[in-house]
Amino acid sequence: MAASMASVRTVRVLSKIFHGHFTPATAVQHHTACPRLVHTASVSSPPSPAIIESEEPDALYQRLSVQVKGHDRAVLDSYEFFATLAAKELGLSLEKVFEPPKHIDKLTLLKSVHIFKKHRVQYEMRTHYRCIQISRITGSSARVYLEYIQRNLPEGVAMEVTKTAIEKIPEHIQKPLWDENKLDASG
Amino acid sequence: MAASLIRQTKLLSVFSSAGCFRSIHCTAVCLKNRAARIRVGKGDRPLTYEQAHHPHHIGHRKGWLSQHTGNLHAEGGAAERVLEDVFIRRFIFGTFHSCLADELIIKRRGNVLIICAVMIQKLLPSKFYFLLGYTEELLSHFYKCPVKIELQLVDEKVVYKYL
Repeated sequence: MAASMASVRTVRVLSKIFHGHFTPATAVQHHTACPRLVHTASVSSPPSPAIIESEEPDALYQRLSVQVKGHDRAVLDSYEFFATLAAKELGLSLEKVFEPPKHIDKLTLLKSVHIFKKHRVQYEMRTHYRCIQISRITGSSARVYLEYIQRNLPEGVAMEVTKTAIEKIPEHIQKPLWDENKLDASG
Repeated sequence: MAASLIRQTKLLSVFSSAGCFRSIHCTAVCLKNRAARIRVGKGDRPLTYEQAHHPHHIGHRKGWLSQHTGNLHAEGGAAERVLEDVFIRRFIFGTFHSCLADELIIKRRGNVLIICAVMIQKLLPSKFYFLLGYTEELLSHFYKCPVKIELQLVDEKVVYKYL
């Protein structure tokens, strides 16, 4: 039943694609009988986004700290594997990947609706953490990496990002004051 | 007096180490947990996997029915999520009445609300599609966020155990 429903939906999508742009040359398919969602017809794709160039220098970050928290340690394990793999593929330098200790919130409530004060029930909410620190990254790389990571964040997992930026020393404190005073304070 | 006491304690220790120490067991009314448990009966009541396992098996043999970040440390909005969940469960139970095979699973990923349901095919596919579209539209208008329903159809309720 489930398979027939799924195949009905895929057939409908395929028919939509074929009705939109049909070219007989590309309709020749070389795969097996089971219908799969393959875009064989030519679909007009939008023009690829142009690379934006601006005069401002890119922001530099000394450290990008991504902390994820969740209730399930197994989910965080797999997400850490995914994030570290993504960082390695993009060529980012992983400084540290570690697991801060978990936090447990405990509640003690009365078990019964009316009386029985001596009988309580205890609940706890465990929050596990995982921290990935990436060092010496540029602003645009950080943006790309974070967008990819955040789009694939699993449900029930929250993320906190801390960026430590490097800035140029402002002009008015670039030279120490005692250097200028040396010439003035002669006596 | 002291000698008899010592003899009594020695007897007691012998019994407890031997393992034949018997006493009256009495549980007060509230000492047994009754939450989300279906008690053992005659053996004619079919149970799904979800119903057969007790709540202390969550995380070990069961998964979570509703996944959101409201209950994490230093995150808010848990009460609103609970309210939304209750409404969604009742709404879908009523819309697809007697079609649900098991509890709904509600996931929140970013802004999107994903409802995963296992249903019995009692209606025609066209009616199913209409009800799916109707629930998605209504719920997305109520909660101002994209709502997606992922459906799995089953011939009949999957029975794990009879209690």
